[in-house]
Amino acid sequence: MSTEFQWQLKGRCYKLGHDVWHAGGVVPNRIIVGRHFDAKDIIPHLFEETDPGFHTRCKPGDIIVAGRNFGMGPKMNGYIAMQALGLGLVCESMPFLAYRAAIGCGLRTMTDCVNATEMCETGDELEVDFRNGFFINHTRDIRREYPPIPDTLMEIVELGGNTGWLKQWQANRLAENTK
Amino acid sequence: MPALTAVEKILARKSGKAAVRPGDVVSPDPDFIMIHDGVVMGAKRELDALGINRLATPDKVVMVTDHDVIYGSARAAERGAFNRKAAAQWGVKNFFDVGRGGHGHIFPMETGMLLPGMFYFDNDRHATNAGAIGAFGFRMGSEISRVLATGTNWVMVPKTVRLTLKGRLQPGVHARDVGFHFAAMLKQGGLAADLDYRVLEYAGDLEQFDLASRAALCSTPTEIRAYGVFVPPSDAILAHAKAHAKHPFTPVYSDPDARYDADLTLDISRLEPQVSLPGSVENAVDISKVAGTAIDHAFIGSCGSGMWEDMTAAAAILKDRRLAPGVRLFIAPGSEATNRRLATEGLLQVFIDAGAVMLPPGCGPCNDAVIGPVHSGEASISTATNNNAGRFGAKEAKLYLGSPATVAASAVAGKITDARKL
Repeated sequence: MSTEFQWQLKGRCYKLGHDVWHAGGVVPNRIIVGRHFDAKDIIPHLFEETDPGFHTRCKPGDIIVAGRNFGMGPKMNGYIAMQALGLGLVCESMPFLAYRAAIGCGLRTMTDCVNATEMCETGDELEVDFRNGFFINHTRDIRREYPPIPDTLMEIVELGGNTGWLKQWQANRLAENTK
Repeated sequence: MPALTAVEKILARKSGKAAVRPGDVVSPDPDFIMIHDGVVMGAKRELDALGINRLATPDKVVMVTDHDVIYGSARAAERGAFNRKAAAQWGVKNFFDVGRGGHGHIFPMETGMLLPGMFYFDNDRHATNAGAIGAFGFRMGSEISRVLATGTNWVMVPKTVRLTLKGRLQPGVHARDVGFHFAAMLKQGGLAADLDYRVLEYAGDLEQFDLASRAALCSTPTEIRAYGVFVPPSDAILAHAKAHAKHPFTPVYSDPDARYDADLTLDISRLEPQVSLPGSVENAVDISKVAGTAIDHAFIGSCGSGMWEDMTAAAAILKDRRLAPGVRLFIAPGSEATNRRLATEGLLQVFIDAGAVMLPPGCGPCNDAVIGPVHSGEASISTATNNNAGRFGAKEAKLYLGSPATVAASAVAGKITDARKL
């Protein structure tokens, strides 16, 4: 496994409110019903309905900080785009299936981060370590410790999501068999 | 030893641990792995692309054709052919294809494949039905492919909410009515709990509920985001399980001092038959508030209401009666065994004489309207799992939900009707 995986992100905050639905709030519904799962097809449409052109302004390492109940529904399209753009996700809560989908897409995600949206504003300089849950807002000099990604799920994120994990699992198995 | 809920005990046992806590991530060794007809193609192609052509535990895999049984389209026929080839290539012997088993969330409980205390993975969220027999089925969605390849997948131990039912249901009131009412109470604030990724565990006066009623109790909470439902098995359920068991089993029960995320109580002794108004199961009202609404379409079946006792409740209403002019009624029994019993015990004759259309065992219209859909402007009353807009046909159709008796009575009257007043 790569030891260079970047668990610590340093970048700008992009803040969202509570109850942001995946359909409309993250990507337009037509991306979901059109079954687009290729990052390059989804990226131009990330936050399109609320902030057109977001993908041209965000940079790898930027962190999306969302409120309660982020990303309703077991949809993965938006997380695929966020992962490909090198972003991280910190939210106050998300429905479990949304969390499972985000991890399955290999997105660095922390949920149950109480009052996280009160700790930052869009544009603040943030530093978040998804291994240990450290959340630092350099602009406002705020430090918090949130629940990190569980150890047992880190491998999935590190390998880029479920497909990457299965690829590695198969490669390991083949290597075992040829020993 | 810490006090555990029943589902925590099941997950601990299957993960080789003495105890687990909500939030722990485990990889349980399932008793079996169920995959339904609609997702086999996606899983097979995904695994083939990764060069994974052998399943970890083919003997544990159960393939079921229940969502699109009689191929309403060329695409469905193609999928059926693909699935048969996939079963052969994977070496899956437990393949319950068309006409061989019925609904995957019903027949395993009838035949003793699914038993108290068991754990299994399923691609479909209605695996929650396993709670009817005191087992735990876990939805994997498209991640079922990892279970097929490796034999397991990660499970975060869910929190449990306890719902204590107090009192006996009045005659003519059904377990589905309890679920509809519970959903409405949560929506209106009469009860407070978050069911997202929770197990809903029933407690209280449960002896009155047979296996079919317990499956009905599992249905509606699933629609309001419960990830599991658990009904502690009664002596009658254990006797049924023992009589049909294909394997040894050990039932589990929550410890008396187990910790719950919320503890709710619902008095069901004065509950009236319920009807969920179009749009959501949560829109349930007493039937008197909506009686008289004209209907065009009716359906009895689904994983919530497809067992033998659901069929007898409908037959009791339909016997010696005819459907109202202009009303079509579809009936989908939950299993091939129930279908045969309907024939041998004369209920099939009752349904046909009433003018109902029999569908093959499976999901019926409740799966994306692959069969028996509604048209724009029509009104339907059914025992489907939910009545979200477009659940079985045109989005503009009005979908009401009721118990099997309510649906049968409404089909006879041509309007929403309290079966007790027919």
